[in-house]
Amino acid sequence: MKLKLALFLARCSLWHRRRVLALVCLTLTLSVTLLLGIQYLRTEVKQSFTNTISDTDLIIGARSGQINQLLYTVFHIGNATNNIRWSTFQQLEEDPRISWLIPISLGDSYRGYRVVATDKRMLDHFRYGQGSPLELARGRWFDKVFDVVLGAGVARGLGHSPGDRIVLSHGGGKTSFSNHEQTPFTVIGILSPTGTPVDQAVYISLDGMEAMHVGWSSGVAIPGRTLTPEKADGLSFTPDAITAAFAGLDQKILTFRVQREINQSTLEPLSAILPGVALSELWRLMGQFERALLGITGFVVITSLIGLIAVLLTLQAQRAHEIAVLRAIGASPSLIAVLYVIECVALAVVACMFAVILGALAIATLSPWMLASYGLHIPLRPLNSFEWALLASIPATAFAVALIPAFSAWRQSRAMGLGDTGEK
Amino acid sequence: MPHGSPDTTPALHVSNLSFRWQADLPLLRFPDIHIAAGEHLFIHGPSGTGKSTFLSLLAGMLTPLTGTIHMLGKDIHQARSGERDRFRADHIGVIFQQFNLVPYLTAEANVTLPCKLSATRREATDPDPENEARRLLTALAIPEDHWQRKVTSLSIGQQQRVAAARALIGSPELILADEPTSALDADNRDRFLDLLLTLAEERGTSVLFVSHDRSLAPHFHHQIELGGPAE
Repeated sequence: MKLKLALFLARCSLWHRRRVLALVCLTLTLSVTLLLGIQYLRTEVKQSFTNTISDTDLIIGARSGQINQLLYTVFHIGNATNNIRWSTFQQLEEDPRISWLIPISLGDSYRGYRVVATDKRMLDHFRYGQGSPLELARGRWFDKVFDVVLGAGVARGLGHSPGDRIVLSHGGGKTSFSNHEQTPFTVIGILSPTGTPVDQAVYISLDGMEAMHVGWSSGVAIPGRTLTPEKADGLSFTPDAITAAFAGLDQKILTFRVQREINQSTLEPLSAILPGVALSELWRLMGQFERALLGITGFVVITSLIGLIAVLLTLQAQRAHEIAVLRAIGASPSLIAVLYVIECVALAVVACMFAVILGALAIATLSPWMLASYGLHIPLRPLNSFEWALLASIPATAFAVALIPAFSAWRQSRAMGLGDTGEK
Repeated sequence: MPHGSPDTTPALHVSNLSFRWQADLPLLRFPDIHIAAGEHLFIHGPSGTGKSTFLSLLAGMLTPLTGTIHMLGKDIHQARSGERDRFRADHIGVIFQQFNLVPYLTAEANVTLPCKLSATRREATDPDPENEARRLLTALAIPEDHWQRKVTSLSIGQQQRVAAARALIGSPELILADEPTSALDADNRDRFLDLLLTLAEERGTSVLFVSHDRSLAPHFHHQIELGGPAE
């Protein structure tokens, strides 16, 4: 087989037809970018997703479904069904099997960002990713009643720095009509970016949460009964209730027993969920969707390949003279067929190369925006083996579909006479 | 026989050749021919006499129904198709009426193409395909600035001369020419024929030239008539 000649001819022929083929190649490039991009995002989103919480063995809240509980405690989506009593939390603290607990109290917001009331234990025990602790990029963790620590995304999004005074809103939502105007908070610290929902949250003390709600027992501020920062300083506020608690156990083997006991607690109706299990259940729900998306994209690629073959078959008619010349010079029908296959595979390879470049550029450009807007950390990384396999399947499929025009060219050129273009 | 002695292998010996495209189409019968090495033969055939079929049989692109084709001592009619393709690459140059060239290659690349397909042709070039191609293009009066151009920018006369250069490169034993001058005007036609035959003579290449134009016959050593469909 004159492979060198076939490669030489294919290169010249593709270059000669570059205008027509550029369009087909572009279609293929875009569809491969889409396929690869969706696969890449799928992996990264899943990674980002499973990285949201780590080392926490149980999340304890009022009785509810595990997905709901995971959503409001970790992702700050939706609301708690009920609170748990502070006394219950204190009972849990007594449990010798539980090594640490982080209380969290939700309900308020700051310009669309959720306010999480917690304490020092959040900084000490909360872990994300592969066990990374929270770190302060600037300032320090709160210790006064009206101190606030901002997630990295909040600080960046709103342009806050330590020392700024902010007013929190009652309830959720981007615009709120009832603000805690009497009790402004001072930004004391800003967390380092984590690529998790932590970046999109505002952290205050449990005391602060209580203090700003003094005089709000009816749901709105009653003039004269609210506190001022001056009056609040030095006072101690014990919460009546919190929303949920993250728990870490000494012995992981006891997780299920502790979970069962909490679920059967006689103190009040409680739910303890395993974050890993809840995350994978949530992912399974979303997984259906993203698998369907990948499937659709696969069809888009197949459609572009069919388009490519259609163009190659159309071009074949124009190439009759050229094939006749090559045959007359002594090229075998298989050389002609190989020429077609090489051209088709070369187009696919070029499309794949462009797709990788295009994809990398898109991720590099959109990555900061994704982090800022969706809290999704999509880093640029080398392709994994599945993605390489997916990419390699494109030229492989191109090879398979190229056999169609190749076979027809082979058969045609076998039957052609000298200088015959097969147009008789 | 003016050239070659009877004991040397003839360039081509054909006898009793016939071919049928399809069972319901008439049988085509072809005259017996004998070309000694280095001799030129003119075959006069009006259109419809199966000229192209005859050349296809000689070039080994079709298999005859009956008859024998001995080319340079090889039985073409018995060879397998792959063998005939290789034989054609090694020993035969071909020129058609038009569309002789691969459109996406330069004039020079078109000329050296046979040397890429055949080691025999490559080794017969002096000193290498590129140099011989340039020499042939110069001899065939293709301006030097046209050598690296796409062949589609050349005139028809130039294209036919590039095709002649491609047929001549590596000095094959036989050139099959199918009406190569019919698209040319009288001046170009005579010039083309002169150059082709002179260069073929230099290399000892036989030329089998088919045309409907009988006035070209005096340029050749022999001439025969191709009849219409037989039976």
